[in-house]
Amino acid sequence: MGLELEPLFQAWSCFRRRKFRQCSDLCAQLLEGPPGGQEADSEYSVFQAAWSLKTRALTEMVYVDEIDMDEEGIAEVILDENAIAQVARPGTSLKLPGTSQGGGPSPAVRPVTQSGRPITGFVRPSTQSGRPSTMEQAIKTPRTALTARPITSASGRYARLGTASMLTNPDGPFINLSRLNLSKYAQKPKLAKALFEYIFHHENDVKNALDLAALATEHAQFKDWWWKVQIGKCYYRLGLYREAEKQFKSALKQQDMVDTVLYLAKVYLRLDQPVTALNLFKQGLDRFPGEVTLICGIARIYEEMNNISSAAEYYKDVLKQDNTHVEAIACIGSNHFYSDQPEIALRFYRRLLQMGVYNCQLFNNLGLCCFYAQQYDMTLSSFERALFLAENEEETADVWYNLGHVAVGIGDLNLAYQCFKLTLVNNNDYAEAYNNLAVLEMRKGHIEQARALLQTASSLAPHMYEPHFNFAILSEKVGDLQRSYTAAQKSEEAFPGHVDTQQLIKQLKQHFAML
Amino acid sequence: AAGSGARRPRAGGRRRPTAAGTAMPEGKAAFREVLPKQGQLSVEDTAGMVLCKPKVLPLKSVSLEKLEKLQRAALEAARPEGAAPQPQP
Repeated sequence: MGLELEPLFQAWSCFRRRKFRQCSDLCAQLLEGPPGGQEADSEYSVFQAAWSLKTRALTEMVYVDEIDMDEEGIAEVILDENAIAQVARPGTSLKLPGTSQGGGPSPAVRPVTQSGRPITGFVRPSTQSGRPSTMEQAIKTPRTALTARPITSASGRYARLGTASMLTNPDGPFINLSRLNLSKYAQKPKLAKALFEYIFHHENDVKNALDLAALATEHAQFKDWWWKVQIGKCYYRLGLYREAEKQFKSALKQQDMVDTVLYLAKVYLRLDQPVTALNLFKQGLDRFPGEVTLICGIARIYEEMNNISSAAEYYKDVLKQDNTHVEAIACIGSNHFYSDQPEIALRFYRRLLQMGVYNCQLFNNLGLCCFYAQQYDMTLSSFERALFLAENEEETADVWYNLGHVAVGIGDLNLAYQCFKLTLVNNNDYAEAYNNLAVLEMRKGHIEQARALLQTASSLAPHMYEPHFNFAILSEKVGDLQRSYTAAQKSEEAFPGHVDTQQLIKQLKQHFAML
Repeated sequence: AAGSGARRPRAGGRRRPTAAGTAMPEGKAAFREVLPKQGQLSVEDTAGMVLCKPKVLPLKSVSLEKLEKLQRAALEAARPEGAAPQPQP
């Protein structure tokens, strides 16, 4: 007995070493034992300590940074009650991606996402699905495996993770929320904070969490900024953005915190007020000079507003403060790649490799940069490693797609053909691969196949101009001028500045005038 | 009708690539500008089909990776229960 550690201390030690499963098991043993050993003078008993520690361990197991969590479902986009104007003025909305003043690369060089933004160098939960700019686009976008959106955020990832946490406790939930006397816990601030985080992050039960937070903030006589931030988080999840804004502002008045600024900016972004969010970040930077998360927030907003050059500048500022910031390095790297400087992009990606990032995406990017920077010795081995590290079929498809480009680059069209075919084997919704296959088929003179492939590509990705433009060219060649004209118009809609499309349309109009 | 250098043919016009300036000047000033005085010089510049561009893949943020890990773990935790009844019917 003498050699054994005090069990609560052992559990605490496990918690600090992030062995949460072990910690939770130890606490469970403590909780099952007789609730003895109470010290009369202490407000909290050992029993309560174990209980609190277990809640914290369970929370840590599924904890995801709430600032990064954002998911906008279709219902939220349609039933947007917060929109002030139907058509926002250019430069004031995130929903109008076409208004690019930043001099970023055109879609002829840099691929765009379905919302018409250039693809970014870094994905977060909120950028992953790509906010569709209009409702029309959200509905029009075909529901492939990757673009499928939850109907509402209430049915989205939060809820799925909530059920996930139940699976980790096969013998029923640790705390039965419906039996909990929340007002009793609200009286004990130390327990209440751990309990709140458990309800919010582990159980994903926002309503109960809000009840607890409301009681607790009342108990603290509205003087605890922490509870105000938590209430704001709950309101945000419930979609009550204006109420959330009030709570965050009130919390900021009491205690200036970077976190609160970030939450408040998130509210403004959801309300589609990027300029307000930018100002907020800049004011925050006055109070917290050089704060990386704030600078990074500014860069993200500029990037979403399609102002690539300003975004790049702010990302550089981030790197001045923190030269291991993965997001900034990746974004600057991809910017360089698409502004025709693959050598410089290669240096950024190599830096990431030195920092210990080791995944499929990085090796794929390294391979591409090596190829376009004419360092052919490393190209294929990078791609090989990327294929080896791919975790799912979508990633494999991406790597084969890029390998197809390498094959086109060295003129091995047979290999290119096979690469694009392999892309489609791995991901049947890969519109870019359909388009490129069509171009290769056309070279072989197989017009019918090319036409079918192009039609597939344009229905899968109506936001890309390439399939429409190619279809227009093909139809014009075989003399089907009407179809060529409609396709060319779609191409112009997707990429208004494309010179070849404009010429084709002009040419077709002259043809029609002659008739 | 002679334009300067290589010139895009006008839309609807005839595309007739003709040889022009066949006599190359010799000597040191070998590379002088060639301005054909007669005939039409044109380079056929039809718009070809375009390939989609190579895609640099975005890296994933830590929270996204954790989310995916949690989802995968949840799927795996759910699978043994779901897989067991399958062989029965």
